Amino acid sequence: MQRYLFSRLIQSALLMVGVLVITFFMVRLTGDPARVMTPRDASPERVEAMREAMGFNDPLIVQFTRYMGGAARGDFGRSLHYRAPAMSLVIQRVPATIELTLAAMGFALLFAIPLGVFGGSRPGSIWDTLARGFGLLGQTVPNFWLALMLIVVFAVDLGWFPSFGRSGPISIVLPAVALGFFPLGQFVRLVRSATLEVRGEDYIRTAYSKGIEERAVLGRHVFRNVSITLVSIVGVQFGYMLGGSIYIESIFSWPGIGRMINEAVQARDFPLVQAIAVFSAGFVVVLNLLTDVAYALIDPRIRYED
Amino acid sequence: MKKALCLLVMMSLVAFAAFGGGAAEEAVEPEQTLRVAVPTFPNSIDASIAAERNAQNVAWQMFDSLVFQTETGEVEPALARDWDISDDGRTYTFYLREDVEFHNGEPFNAEAVVYSWERGQRPELEWSDRWARADDARVIDEYTVEISTEEPDALLLGIMAQHWNMVPPQYTEEVGDDAFGEAPVGTGPFKFVEWVREDRVVLEANENYWREGLPRVDEVIYVPIPEASTRMAAIQTGEVDIVNRLSFEQAEALEDVDGVNVVTYPIDRVFYIAFNNLTTGVGEPTEDVRVRQAMNYAVDRQAIVDSLFGGYAELATGLMTTGNLGYDHSIEPYPYDPDRARELLAEAGYPDGFEIGFAAPTGAYTNFEQVAEAVQGYLRDVGIETDLEFMESGRYWDLEAEKALPPLFGDSWSERSGEALPRLRGALDGWDASFSAWQEETITEYMDEIGRTVDQERRAQLYTELHNYMFENPPFIYLYVPETFEATRDNVRDYNPRAAEDYFLMYTYLE
Repeated sequence: MQRYLFSRLIQSALLMVGVLVITFFMVRLTGDPARVMTPRDASPERVEAMREAMGFNDPLIVQFTRYMGGAARGDFGRSLHYRAPAMSLVIQRVPATIELTLAAMGFALLFAIPLGVFGGSRPGSIWDTLARGFGLLGQTVPNFWLALMLIVVFAVDLGWFPSFGRSGPISIVLPAVALGFFPLGQFVRLVRSATLEVRGEDYIRTAYSKGIEERAVLGRHVFRNVSITLVSIVGVQFGYMLGGSIYIESIFSWPGIGRMINEAVQARDFPLVQAIAVFSAGFVVVLNLLTDVAYALIDPRIRYED
Repeated sequence: MKKALCLLVMMSLVAFAAFGGGAAEEAVEPEQTLRVAVPTFPNSIDASIAAERNAQNVAWQMFDSLVFQTETGEVEPALARDWDISDDGRTYTFYLREDVEFHNGEPFNAEAVVYSWERGQRPELEWSDRWARADDARVIDEYTVEISTEEPDALLLGIMAQHWNMVPPQYTEEVGDDAFGEAPVGTGPFKFVEWVREDRVVLEANENYWREGLPRVDEVIYVPIPEASTRMAAIQTGEVDIVNRLSFEQAEALEDVDGVNVVTYPIDRVFYIAFNNLTTGVGEPTEDVRVRQAMNYAVDRQAIVDSLFGGYAELATGLMTTGNLGYDHSIEPYPYDPDRARELLAEAGYPDGFEIGFAAPTGAYTNFEQVAEAVQGYLRDVGIETDLEFMESGRYWDLEAEKALPPLFGDSWSERSGEALPRLRGALDGWDASFSAWQEETITEYMDEIGRTVDQERRAQLYTELHNYMFENPPFIYLYVPETFEATRDNVRDYNPRAAEDYFLMYTYLE
């Protein structure tokens, strides 16, 4: 296990270096930041002076070395648009995004697990119909559309929730539902089909034959096995939700990383885009690592051999 | 019938509020908070760094300049109660108000003006070239300051009003740019309270404001809402009092909503298809003025505006807008006349038309891709084949600045000074301007003279002449001046956004 972890850590570090290299060159394909930083009627001389001052005139390899050197020290440069250290701007946004992602994930799991387990254990029942219905809707309804509909119905017409912003626990409900709806659909389908499968296994029949109550069978035997599949997909979904929240955060004006990506790209803010990309990639890498560790903890059958 | 009933109900409600509610209101004066939604969150709320219009609007509620510019371009006293201009037009002597303090208690005086000018010019600040138009600033006595320019600069006062925010020397020097941007201090009608990054900016009324009786509300809260549909929802629920940058469909939908007023006005931005006579357009038929006139006749602008903007746009007659100094209202836009276009093309020696390159940016402006396609279609009707190329706007503007776009390219230009000169210079100063692809002696001469002339009447006359010249000798296919849509709660009074999309909340109050 230790050796496995060690090699995974090395892999992750290499992956991060790759991300640094790719983001550096990708953002430089998008054009000249000096023009974005100067008013439109600025003279060519002023633009040139800005380019020189920001170091955009140096050979790419010099800029790259400077960037990698900075990254090694945790310095990702200053945001061109906000004129503040890029990474600390990103870090400021993290709590809001994590909060929203957790709420959305919580919402998705809270509905998906019971729906999926009950639906899967009683095929053809009303639970099953619901489970299949939500599975389909979750996967097909675009989340930005859902977000706007939620605002129209629950904020404008009913007035139950605020239509935007992050102000108190109630303001997280609509964005969390909008963001959690897609994973909800995916989880329901997954849990349902896994339950269907496990249901037929010998050990379940044995459990029933021992006279164990249905609730206990579902909880202890069925769900325990289903959860292995669930953990892997939850890990992946966490990563996706960071991306999916670009729309959701912008629509609800939720002050997280997703909205910042939008702003940074529009302002062609190189250092900020780089910092966000590196941070998000790091986040996904860590999540994957945690997922793999979680497998081993949940399922005693999984062993990372030395 | 239904409308009439609605009106009746509303009127009786208003009457009730006015007569029934009056007594209670007098007893307790309610704390008035104005909540304003902005589509982009400010990159900074220091007026010298705030990059775009919305950020500038937030910042400028806290600052003043020496002078104030009215919507029609007239310059009025502000922190300077009066000024003289020397005979050679190069030296301005400002006599400052003596009763003004910054929000932190520092006195406002000649030293503060000179300090602000020195600071503003530092190249890392967004608007440094606006400050650098002045060559020198000197303290004469405590409340007199002299500012001079190398050459007479007719735009100086207007640019001061737009960009010269006065800052307190001690505080600014002590805390540095970053901290100043976190908690700016000015002399303006509102004082900084807090900036919860990406969540809200809170300002409170400056009780000691030098303009008597202003501001009228106690508190202003700015909240960022990037998505227009959400802004529309927030004004309906009353979570905010003012929203801007709505689409015309949204504005039309809001017309029927109780409690919401829609505000519409043309903004100072001209859309056009530009010609090029410097690089890619050299040797092309578009160098012939008759061809350029023909192309203006060939495009049915009104149809474009009606179908893509619900009719909410004015047809452009030049690179000036109706509010600009010297705009000639007698000029009618080019009518849609494809026959006249074909005649002119034949006269110019292209009876069968020609082929030419054409490009337009994507994702930059509302419906502009469709506008470009429509223009392509109209040009094809008179025999001009264009191979229309769409490009991502970032790359597009890079190529535009390198003068490497095809000989026809679409774009727009906004102007906030109330005068067309900066826009004219930017788009027509040829090799001396980043985004210009056109140079023409007559136009350059006019621009130079307008820039030198200080007498307003003479300048207006020069603008009018240039407007006419550029109509007859169009360096663009003139398209349209769009309108913008905002909405307020119906108890908001005296909120008057101007053509540059700027506004002064000191006048605004809630009823």
